[in-house]
Amino acid sequence: MANWNVSHSGLDWAGGANWARMFHDVNFWSSLFRLFYFSFITTTLQYIFGFTAALFAWRGIAARRFFRVLWLIPLMTTPSVIAIVWRSIFREDIGAANGLLALIGVHPVAWSTSIFPATVTITIAEVWQWTPFMFLILLAGLLSLPKEQFLSAEIDGATPWRTFWSITFPLMAPISIGAIIIRLIEASKIFDSIFNLTSAGPGNSTETPAYYLYTRGLREFQISYGATMGLAYLILAILTLTILGQIFARISKPRGI
Amino acid sequence: MKKILKYLFIILWSTFVIAPLSWALVTSFKPAAAVNNGATFIPWLQFQPTLDGWKDITGISGYANLFPALINSATITFFSTLVSLSFGCMAAYGLSRFSYGWKHYKNPDIIFFFISQRIMPPAVLAVPFFILLKSLNLLDTKLGLVLVLTSALMPIVVWLLVDFFNQLPKEIDEMAMLEGCNPFEAFIRTILPLSKPGLTVAGMFAIIFGWNDLFFGLVLTFTKVQTLPVAVVALNGTVTPFWTLSASAIFSILPLIGLAFVVERFLSKGGFAGAVR
Amino acid sequence: MNLNLNQVSVESEAEIILKDISFDFQPGKIYVLIGRTTSGKTSLMRTIAGLLEPTDGEIHLGVTRLDEVPIWERGIAMVYQQFINYPQRTVLNNVEFPLLRAGVSKADAKAQALAMIEKVGLSEFVNRKPSQLSGGQQQRVAIARALVRNTRVILLDEPLMNLDYKLREQLREEFRVLFKSTENSVTIYATTEPSEALFLGDELLVMHEGRIIQHGKPNLVFENPANIDVAQIVNDPPMSILDAEIKDGKVTIGNLMNFATPSHLKTQKDGSYKIGIRASEVVLGGSHSNSEEGEVSLSEVSGSETLLYVKLNIGEVVLQLEGIHDYYIGQKVTVSLAPERLFLFNMDGTLCAAPGN
Repeated sequence: MANWNVSHSGLDWAGGANWARMFHDVNFWSSLFRLFYFSFITTTLQYIFGFTAALFAWRGIAARRFFRVLWLIPLMTTPSVIAIVWRSIFREDIGAANGLLALIGVHPVAWSTSIFPATVTITIAEVWQWTPFMFLILLAGLLSLPKEQFLSAEIDGATPWRTFWSITFPLMAPISIGAIIIRLIEASKIFDSIFNLTSAGPGNSTETPAYYLYTRGLREFQISYGATMGLAYLILAILTLTILGQIFARISKPRGI
Repeated sequence: MKKILKYLFIILWSTFVIAPLSWALVTSFKPAAAVNNGATFIPWLQFQPTLDGWKDITGISGYANLFPALINSATITFFSTLVSLSFGCMAAYGLSRFSYGWKHYKNPDIIFFFISQRIMPPAVLAVPFFILLKSLNLLDTKLGLVLVLTSALMPIVVWLLVDFFNQLPKEIDEMAMLEGCNPFEAFIRTILPLSKPGLTVAGMFAIIFGWNDLFFGLVLTFTKVQTLPVAVVALNGTVTPFWTLSASAIFSILPLIGLAFVVERFLSKGGFAGAVR
Repeated sequence: MNLNLNQVSVESEAEIILKDISFDFQPGKIYVLIGRTTSGKTSLMRTIAGLLEPTDGEIHLGVTRLDEVPIWERGIAMVYQQFINYPQRTVLNNVEFPLLRAGVSKADAKAQALAMIEKVGLSEFVNRKPSQLSGGQQQRVAIARALVRNTRVILLDEPLMNLDYKLREQLREEFRVLFKSTENSVTIYATTEPSEALFLGDELLVMHEGRIIQHGKPNLVFENPANIDVAQIVNDPPMSILDAEIKDGKVTIGNLMNFATPSHLKTQKDGSYKIGIRASEVVLGGSHSNSEEGEVSLSEVSGSETLLYVKLNIGEVVLQLEGIHDYYIGQKVTVSLAPERLFLFNMDGTLCAAPGN
């Protein structure tokens, strides 16, 4: 049912006009560029935090199960709803963020009216929301690793750090790659946070393709243009993912995994 | 030294996780003054907790009532998950056991086709679905939303289950066929009973994505049917006081917190062992 | 009802899996397929069962054209080499399953299942699940399931391969008894072990690279292998093959062995040949015209025997010695070949003469 363009009887054949427009549309390209930034930064952060948390929740600490539940919770929350909460936190006048900063004597930050802070708020919201996703997949992977290698490493007297880099990390390579790719796919559709937190603001500095498509295609009823952008986006996305997939495949092969 | 870093991370991360939730929780109990004059944090010390926010969202004060939305979300998520699992597991079984082909497009390509549907931003699919539902008179109905969500959830379900089924030995259903079961019967009687872990994982993801969906609800429903995220976002759009918003946030999140416990349980019992690639 | 295969082939562009298999299987006999691992035994069975589609040829069961019947209607039972049972059902349910599928009433199914379970010796385990049983017991459940239906065709694909030695011997004995009751069925059993084939089979089919290269009573095949390939397949450890020449009433093997032509080879023409000798018939020691000194290249202890690989001038020879012996690599030993026990093959591998004829 998906991936199907409905040709409305009311639509004129515009030929390449929509495509030409898209190529010249600065907003479209800047939103794409922004998307690269967002996806890669948030995914990297999510991976680092998620893996660290997974390692600890695996067998590193007491009361593991408690922390596992706790750290899973953000994944169960509704992104759009939480985004509203973050908005209230980052309200410049009565939000918790500036309130806390005031307590330590730092000037209030213009969270929603300056470009960089606005970007930071989105990043924080995304990391909070989706790190548990990485956490879950990586933890599941860690739990399914065979114990023998670790036992022999212990016998050989390897330090935890060493064990991690030489054994754990390489063994987790396929799962890591899978998780990262899945997360990248989902991250590139980022909409809920933008919609509810910043409304792509200030101006359109936090606009992403999904949001842009939404405004142009649905709010302004430029349906065919929206469809054009969507198609272009899909092609780019598939290209990027294929290239990434190849890169990852090549990285993991020489290690002899 | 390493230990200090470890505990530092654990504390910081846990605090980070709890922070927005506790803020929302506390805020939901604040009276007007506590919100509008700057940020306040600690109940009873900095303000007197009230139930205004909660009264607002449960229909007691007449402002809004989120219970119908809650029931809608529950019903819609339940049915979407049910249908996508039922059809999804059959599709996954087919992809796992049989070889489909058209020219040189084979099974892996079909699977890729399924996955590529997740790549599309919902906005692109919104218009076709809108037109489709309109022509079927299913806009603003539960059934319409269930149908659309099911098709959005199917790719995840199929993808997870194909991987899972591939790990179940083919010989078991071969044996069932030799003993008189046609492929469908073989599936039902032998593979399905063994699929509980896979179905659980797929079901969990389906529930999470289905319950939390904002986009399709936003585009395809208006007044008669509203899911919880849509209702909360609608509140956000109007001039709604913070305490009410926070209360609504906590309200819509509570139901799935229980799921966190279920997931953890399942995880610790090694349930994911077969499902993770 | 006969099972008849006619020119059955399974081929793809890349490989030949089965080629021109034609054979008539009769009920009441146990046919043993012997061959190396990739020779096509499993593929042949899977083709008969319907799990593999032939690219050519026909299969008939009685008058029915079998290859046009779907798998679940063929009425064929199969035992795999990995112990395949339904993990979520008890032993009793496992064995009842095929009967219920065939339309037998619940009461009858239970009774028949219990009877078969007793035959395989698992009566005390009827309510256990397969995961609670040992490997040998699991395989017995699989066998019970296969036999309980009294199907026209019973296929066993190296069922004992994954079991330990003792269990294999025990079950082999039990098979003999069990298969006596399958008089109306065609039983086909695949194995790589010649001893199993000799023990169980009424008729032997030797498979190699997708074809049947010889068939007949096990003893006959054993004594008269059609060519070197067959000789190697039905002998474990394999036969030693050396180049030889017959000239003027003498057999010359390499430079050092030269003896009078034994009686069974007297009728052969002069020329170049290959001779073969079984490992159990190469002897240590002796300093006659049929001996030669060589170097040990490998010494393998297997069970209660020692296999000795000795490198001669002309080639390598394998000896099978009783008992456990200690030999080191490079040790010099003398080996003798008994002339009356030599097999003679043409240069193209076909059999010319076999001993004891």
